This record gives sequence, structure tokens and C-alpha cells, in this order.
Amino acid sequence: MSTAAQQRLTELWETPKTLRGWLSTVDHKQLGKRYIATAIVFLIIGGVEALIMRIQLARPSQNILGPETYDQIFTMHGMTMIFWYASPILSGFSIYLVPLMIGARDLAFPRFNAFTYYAFLFSGVLLYVSPFLGQSPHGGWFAYTPFTGPAYSPGWGMDFYNTALVLLTIATSGGAINLIVSILRLRAPGMAISKMPLFLYSTLTAQFVTIFSLPSLTVANLFLELERRWNFHFFDVAHGGSPLLWQNLFWFFGHPWVYIVFLPATGMISMMIPVFSRRPIVGYAYVAISTILTGLVGFGVWVHHMFAVGMGHLTMSFFSAASMTISIFTIIQVFAWVATIWKGRPVLTTAMYFALGFIALIVVGGLSGVVTAMIPVDWQMTDTYFVVSHLHYVLVGANMIPVFAGLYYWWPKMTGRMLSETLGKTSFWVIFIGFNLAFFPMHILGVLGMPRRIYTYTAGLGWDSINMLITVGAFILAIGILLTLVNLYWSLKHGALAGKNPWNADSLEWSTDSPPKPYGSIHIPTVITRHPLWDSYEEEEDPRGERVLDQDRLTLSSTWLDAEPTAVARMPEDTIIPLLLAFGFFVIFGAITFQLMWLVVGALVYSLIIASIWFWPKPQEGELEGELE
Amino acid sequence: MSPVYTDQPSPTTKAPPPVRRIDDKRGTFGMALFITTEAALFLVLFFAYYYTDKRSAQWRGEMPPRLHYALPMLAVLLSSSGVLYWGEQQLKKRRYGAARLALIGTILLGILFLVLTVLDDMEELKHLTPQTDSYGSIYYTITTLHASHVTFGLLMLIWVLVMPRWQPAVYTPHRPYQNVAMYWHFVDTVWIFIVALLFVAPNIYNALQ
Repeated sequence: MSTAAQQRLTELWETPKTLRGWLSTVDHKQLGKRYIATAIVFLIIGGVEALIMRIQLARPSQNILGPETYDQIFTMHGMTMIFWYASPILSGFSIYLVPLMIGARDLAFPRFNAFTYYAFLFSGVLLYVSPFLGQSPHGGWFAYTPFTGPAYSPGWGMDFYNTALVLLTIATSGGAINLIVSILRLRAPGMAISKMPLFLYSTLTAQFVTIFSLPSLTVANLFLELERRWNFHFFDVAHGGSPLLWQNLFWFFGHPWVYIVFLPATGMISMMIPVFSRRPIVGYAYVAISTILTGLVGFGVWVHHMFAVGMGHLTMSFFSAASMTISIFTIIQVFAWVATIWKGRPVLTTAMYFALGFIALIVVGGLSGVVTAMIPVDWQMTDTYFVVSHLHYVLVGANMIPVFAGLYYWWPKMTGRMLSETLGKTSFWVIFIGFNLAFFPMHILGVLGMPRRIYTYTAGLGWDSINMLITVGAFILAIGILLTLVNLYWSLKHGALAGKNPWNADSLEWSTDSPPKPYGSIHIPTVITRHPLWDSYEEEEDPRGERVLDQDRLTLSSTWLDAEPTAVARMPEDTIIPLLLAFGFFVIFGAITFQLMWLVVGALVYSLIIASIWFWPKPQEGELEGELE
Repeated sequence: MSPVYTDQPSPTTKAPPPVRRIDDKRGTFGMALFITTEAALFLVLFFAYYYTDKRSAQWRGEMPPRLHYALPMLAVLLSSSGVLYWGEQQLKKRRYGAARLALIGTILLGILFLVLTVLDDMEELKHLTPQTDSYGSIYYTITTLHASHVTFGLLMLIWVLVMPRWQPAVYTPHRPYQNVAMYWHFVDTVWIFIVALLFVAPNIYNALQ
């Protein structure tokens, strides 16, 4: 029974290992891994850009980069890291893990998942066309007007900024919708909302934040592009516009974005720390609620990026208070993690090293955040290296470090091979030392008054030795990252076999093979506690084979609150259509960059045709109903 | 490395009963979320409109926007929503012919709306272009974005109209019809807000001055 079912399921779900199969797969596991791999490529590109900047700044009055080149490089570094690495890598983990964690066979919209991956990939390609024209965006990642307007930024750079970001916005919002529907509708029977792994809470919150905040960026980009190329006036004071409109629109998106790239990472940590402390997390409900509140209050703090522009006292006080409030929710989580370790029996694996390193760094980054939420201090520190230091503690400390923890933790599940612990721990210490060496002195540099985004400085301002130290730290950090990348590569051939559950973890993804079969588990699991693999209940117990669902590509859908099974969800086959549609979008936005309107119209028509083929109903679609009844 | 967690499940827990229904609500859920993010887009646009209004020295010149196209356009869209709603009711009663008729009616009214938009813009462009000032820019951006949403909604309605219905799937047209209708009602709602905020409110304001 079991082997026959296994064979049928494999036939139904397996993607052929051909080029066509590779391009048309809708398997969330393959796409999730592609997300992660693509994001790591962007991490490397952004990292190299950072190193180039550090070489330039290592000593005073250097001329390795001119001012314009330097502007372009720091802008590309910021955009690459924030938009094309930090969020997509978390999407990658979510897309890979969510269906396995909830016991579903795929995401709610598998073809749409493929589309959003390719749209993300193409948006990155579009952005990286610009350096080859020598005209990359150069206005910083937040691209303040009027500098980025038509008068001061001719050339194509800022057009690439707008079009690449809007395409990325479409991809990210689409991915968010997919994850929300999956988490709320496809959970295994019994996985009520009070029994969901915490990673699902943080992912869900981040996706809701995404769909509410990203439109603001879209509007900002649309306005800027219309102003730049079609002579509209949104930010131009002479025609009744306001440059501050840009800042409001950008930061109304920009600050929630910080939580989009931060929350899922805390979710990963909330998964790992209990496993390596050998006990359930302390304060599950508090962690879940403070995750949601972080996302919610995150919408009320955007103005703290603009304290220096001149605003009313009441406005500033409100946003200052909100900014301090939000740190409370993070602190609740930090205390929950520390208490879990305290009351548990910690096992110090590499993943746990990174998790602990994360807690240390987020506390430093959080504290410097509270400091900058105080308006008088912020006025002093705005646009200095203090802010650079703060944002790197938060973004590297609370995104890259947890992501590395996640890689050490879930890599065995994804590849079936363990990573080297020795190399991993070495890598952790090199990263940790390099990171602190590179970014801690920036606090001091900021207090000493070094502005961010200057391409060089003169000797004798007291900045020389600190800058040299930072450059050395940056290279040590790079070596540490390289060690982990070597570890990942090495493990593919030489790593020890992982088995189903190498960490003796509690969540459902560890009940599947490593790497998981294309269909996940043979029987859709049922869940009765928060820690399915730590209780004595057998999740896949299904003597009558009612949850094999091998009539077609099927999975169970359930109610969003109690996860009562309600229906059988039919999943689409592999198809190349999503790639073709994403390519259409790529052409649309590429053409808008250069205002080739006839090409835009052509690509639009092409995309509409492809989309209607996508949704065209297939003749066999009604057959299953008869079969099931 | 054995876990200390020893919560025993209650022995009465049984496997859930097998389900026999096909899940057709994921698309509806996805459409609802798509509408949510689109609604956020228009909220941001309205924010930009008011923000610029507050900050701008020159805003909308002397003349309030004319209502003799906007209000009939509102009537057209509202009645199209009504017709489509009636169609949805027919669909639930499995009167497919009537539902199709309602769909055709909605499409015609949608096309009428677009024609009125073009006429309105042709008249408006004589005094105000998007390049005139910030008001012109935001006004045309909002109305044109809305018109493009109407166009997109129309294309989807047409798609539902020509979509084949395969036997024995009697319900095949059911969900796509409702999902697209949901989008159409959303687009209409946006127009209500546009008429209220961009057309009617300035006229009231000017009358009170």
C-alpha cells in the first residue's frame, strides 16, 4: 500500500530533470532554494561593493573611486542588500519551509510562486543592467528628491531605480499574498492558530506588513518616474510640489520594510532556540502577540527617519514615543529567548552560536535605535556614521546572522547533508569578530562627526585610524562569510548524511525525508500539540489511507482558525507560463526605463495573452468531484 | 539529546473525517488580498493629494473641478455594480443565461464609463494638463490609474464571458465570476471615493468660501 502510494505520488509530483522541467517547475522546494541561492548571489555582489567602498575609505584623501562612482556604489550596495538580499532570502526560507511546516504539499498558488520568483530575478537583472551603462542609481537607497529629480540626476540611473523597484514590488506583494493564503488555508488538520510554529506567526505578520506598505513605494516610484520623464510635478516646489512628499511616501514604506526583513528572522530564532535548549519556548503567546504588535506599530514610526527636516513638536513627540514603544515588543522576544535558554539544557551547535550572536547584536542595535529615537540625539547623529552603524547592527545582526543560523539549521533538511561544525564555528567567530570590528567603531566615528556617504576625507580629523580599523574588520567579516559559503559547497559532496531529524526538532518539516520527497509526506499529517514531533501522537497515522490523496495533485485545505479540514485543494501541474509572464513584465519595465512606449504596449499585450492562457480552465478540471463522491 | 517535553496527548483524539469537497476558495482569498493591497495604493494616492494640498501655495487655481461628467460616471459605475450583483445572485440560483446577460450589461456600462472618461479628459485638458502644476499631476495620476484599473477589470469580465465551461464541472464559471465581480465592486468603490474627495469636496469647500 505504502510503496504503491509512494510511487503514484512521485509520478504525480516529480519534476523531470530536463531543462524544460527545470524552467517550468512549480515545486516550492526548488523555487525556495532558488530564492535562497539568488539572494546569496546578491549578498556576494553587495558585499564586494561594500569592500570596494572600504578600500576607498581606508585612508584619507584616496582617489581610487571618484565621487560619482562612489555614489553609485554605495547606492547599489544599499539597494542590493536591502531589497534584493534581505527580503528575498527570507522569502526563500518561507517558501521552502511553510508548506513543510504546515503539512501541505505546496503553497496555495504554486504557479504564482514561480512567477514571483522569476519577477524577483528579472528585477535584479534589470537593476544590474545599469552598471554596464555606467549609469547606476546614485541617490542612496532612499533616493531623496529633489536630488533624484530630472534637474540634478539626468541619465538613466534613477530610472533604473524606479522600474527595478516597481517590478520587485510586484514580485514581493505577490509572494506575500501566496504565503498568507497558504498559512491561513492549507494548515494540517488540527494545527489551530494557537498551535502554529512561531515562524509562521512572524512570516504571516511580515507578509501582511508587505501588502499594506509596499504600495507606498510603488506610488513614490511612479511619481518620481513621471516627474523625471513626463514633466509631472510632485516634488518640485516651483510648481506646487513638495520634496517632503517623497520622504513621507518612502518612509511610510521604508520603516515597515525594516520589520519585513527582521520579523521572519526572529521567527527562525524562535524555532531554533527551543530545539537547541531542549524545551518548548517560554511565553509562546507573548512572543506571538509581540510579533504581531511589532508589525502593527511599525506603521506608526516612519517619521523618525525625518526628525531633521523640521516638524511640529507634537508630531515629533508622537513618533519618538512610538519608536521607543516598538522596542518593548522586541525586548519581550529577547527575554523569552533568554529564559528558554536559561531553563533549558542548551546544546551549542553552530546554529545556536549564530542564534546567540544574533541576540547580542540585536541588543546593541536596538539600544542604538532607542538612542536615535531621542530627537535631540537624532539631530546630532543624522547622516553620520552613527546611523550607518545602527542600521548595520540591525540589518546584519538581525537579518544576516539569523539567516546564517537558519542555513546551518535547515541546510541538512534542504540537501540531506550536514555542514561541518568545526568550519561553521570558525566561520561564526570570524564573522562575529569581523562584524564588531567593522561596525562598532562606526558609532565613535559618528560621534566624532564623520558624515555618511562622503567619498573621502582629509587627514587629521581624528578619523584616520578608526577608518583603517573598520576596513580591516570588513575584510575579516568577508572572510567569515566566505568560510560559510565554502562550508555549504563542501557539504554537498562530503557532509555527513543528515537523516530525517538530525537536531531532534519538534516541527513538522523534520518528519519528512532529507531532502524531502517532491510530495512532502505520504499521508497529510494531523497535529494535536504545538510540538508535533515531541509528543507521542503519530502525525501520519492513517490506516485507511484517507489522507494519501493520490488521485491527483492534491492537498488538504482547512479553516483558518481551528484548522478543521474543509476541502481538498487541487494543485496545478508544472508549467512554463509563469516564466513567460515574468519575462513579459521584465520587458515592460525595461522598456519604461528608456521610455520605449511602443515596446511597453507590445509587452503588455503579450502579458495579457499569456495571463489568459494561464487562467484558461482545463477540460479535466471537474472530473475529480465525481471521483471523490 | 532527548527532549524533555513530555506532554501526552489525550487518547480520545481521532483522525479527522475525510473531506469530499474541492477547495475553490483560495482564489477568492487571493483576490481579496490583491484588492487589499490595491486599496492601500489608492489610500496612499489620496494621502499624497491632501499632503500636497496642505503644503502647496498654488493648488487647483480658482476653478473647482467640474461635476457634469464625474457624477454621471458615478451613476454608470454604480449601476454596473448593481447589474453585476444581480448576476451573482442568478449564478447562485444556477441561472447561467441570466448571469451571462448581467455580465454583458456590466461590460457595456464599463465601456461607457471609459468613453465618458476620455470625453471628460478631453474637456479638462483645455484648462489643466498634468504638466501644469502639482494639482494637475496628482489629479491626472489618480483618475488615470483608476481608469486603468477599470480597463483591467473589464478585460477580466470579458475573460469570464468567453471562458469555456466544461462538463461535469457545473460550478466552473461560479468562482471566477465571483472573484472578478469582487474586483469590479472594488474599482467602483474607489470611484465613489474619488468623486467624493477630488470632485465634490472641493466644490463644497469653494461654495463655503
